[in-house]
Amino acid sequence: MPAVFAFSEALILGLASGPACVASCGPVLVPSLLAERSGMRLNSRYLSAFLATRLLGYLLFAAVAWEVGALVSLPSPARSSLFAMIHLLLAGVLLRYAWSVGRACNHACGSPELVTIGGAGRHRIPGAAVLGFLTGISLCPPFVAAGVRAAEAANVAAAMLFFAVFFLGTSVWFVPFAGLGWVRRNEAVTTVARMAMVLIALYYFYAGLMTLIRRTTHGY
Amino acid sequence: MATKVLVAREPRSVGRSFLLTLPIALWSALMFAPIFREASRPARIAEVMTGIFMVVLFFMMMRTWSTYRWRRWFFVAMGLLFPVGFIHQVMVMRGTMGIPIEEMIAGRTPFCFIPIPLLILPAAFTKTVVFPGSILPNGGMSGGGMAAMVGIWLAITIVVGKGWCSYACFFGGIEEGMAAVPAKAALRKIDSRWRYGPWAVLLAMVLLSLALFEPAYCMWLCPFKAVSEYVAARNAIGMIQNGIFIVLFTALVIALPLLTKKRTQCAFFCPFGAFQSIFNKMSVFQVKIDKTRCTPCVLCQKSCPTMALNDESIAKGETLMSCMKCGACVDACPKDAAVWHIRGTEVAVKPERARLMFLYAAWAMAIMFGGRIIAGGLATILHLFV
Repeated sequence: MPAVFAFSEALILGLASGPACVASCGPVLVPSLLAERSGMRLNSRYLSAFLATRLLGYLLFAAVAWEVGALVSLPSPARSSLFAMIHLLLAGVLLRYAWSVGRACNHACGSPELVTIGGAGRHRIPGAAVLGFLTGISLCPPFVAAGVRAAEAANVAAAMLFFAVFFLGTSVWFVPFAGLGWVRRNEAVTTVARMAMVLIALYYFYAGLMTLIRRTTHGY
Repeated sequence: MATKVLVAREPRSVGRSFLLTLPIALWSALMFAPIFREASRPARIAEVMTGIFMVVLFFMMMRTWSTYRWRRWFFVAMGLLFPVGFIHQVMVMRGTMGIPIEEMIAGRTPFCFIPIPLLILPAAFTKTVVFPGSILPNGGMSGGGMAAMVGIWLAITIVVGKGWCSYACFFGGIEEGMAAVPAKAALRKIDSRWRYGPWAVLLAMVLLSLALFEPAYCMWLCPFKAVSEYVAARNAIGMIQNGIFIVLFTALVIALPLLTKKRTQCAFFCPFGAFQSIFNKMSVFQVKIDKTRCTPCVLCQKSCPTMALNDESIAKGETLMSCMKCGACVDACPKDAAVWHIRGTEVAVKPERARLMFLYAAWAMAIMFGGRIIAGGLATILHLFV
């Protein structure tokens, strides 16, 4: 019975926090999804990759949260550093993604594949997967709230299960984004998405850098 | 197609021009005549001067059949005098151009129309307006709240569409003035993809406003903060913000218009312009290209200050949705192929009637909104001498 209660709590927490998660991930998700080619199937694949790696991030976070007794109890400088690193990584990946979209369109516009980033050949991975993972470990407020509850779980498996159910609750809010597959992609849409990614990347870069500077100069 | 052949552009007779100007003169008198309100002597002089200025410009539009060059006088005057009046008001009320955090917390930040699109998503998701101003009057510097500004914007936009950007926006005048300075553009080749810039800024700022719960454009990217109301630089973040405002203003409003003879901030950056383009689809007034007359010499394309015409759009006989209805292409066309048009009517049938109907609406709005800004700026200057 307590287990059912805990999972209901996780699901409701996820459903209630969904809009905040969408708002937090929107700057990453929307332009990168618009930069892909149109089609419900491709866009659903993008969302699947994004959500799957986001779940991976959640589970990793759950394990760490249980292990260290919730990230909220981490010393503030360490949390700041983690936060800054995630922002800087997001900035780098978004810039790389925007650049890769240009290359993908120049060379294989008809290809029904997701835009990939990374090294050459088999080492390339879908950008959606990297972005999903990075947003999955971002410390947004609902995520931290779930982390506190997960830290109180009896064992690491229970903590991870709590986060998995929490993830299900939040993911409901991401499903409508598959509808962006109906938006017809042309040069205008792709260019707007790429330019927006660059702008958002600049913001994340600034946010990460400022956090690091503040941590160095003020110690928090 | 029943196409009316236009006569060569002989000036319209003085009497007829006067008659056509009469409704605007009456409206201007209603807005600016000193008998209708108590005001200081400089303010009354400024209002009379503004009223006469607006009526004379409209008369010249009627007499010469030309729109763009006369509208530009008004627009540049508004652009230059807005900071004069606004900064004076800010200095009197607050003693500084910088807005301190206390004022923001108290909800006394003056509201302009540019954040309107940034407020929609946060309001839809959380029923919260993410702007540190007041919804109702007595909040901002001018005493008018957000509701008044949104109401004025909506009423005007429904009628003139993106004409707002050429007849009401108090920011675009400075760059239009700068673009008018050089005889020829030094930088002529502009990648057409920059036209998508405003949409990208709009997308990024709408998403960031929702994520950060603040009007991201006002906080980080508005070039006009440099000449209106900057962030009180009490720490490094404030200094960075102000640095961004100054760099953007210098580049987009001063340097690039001088080099390109285009309104570069409006054409390549302004997110509100992109948002406003959507409303161009519902406005009854349009600019069309009469394909039976078009040669095409692309003079319209070259004259457009916002690159709202390209080869494809000319071939289709229309402008792009970013057209601001400034009239530059209509005035530049030697064949009268670029014409004013009312949606639902045949193209190039009585285009002058369409121009008149548009101008009555747009100029009435310009007098009411821009005229007051011009009068306010002039009064500030006259206070120094009278």
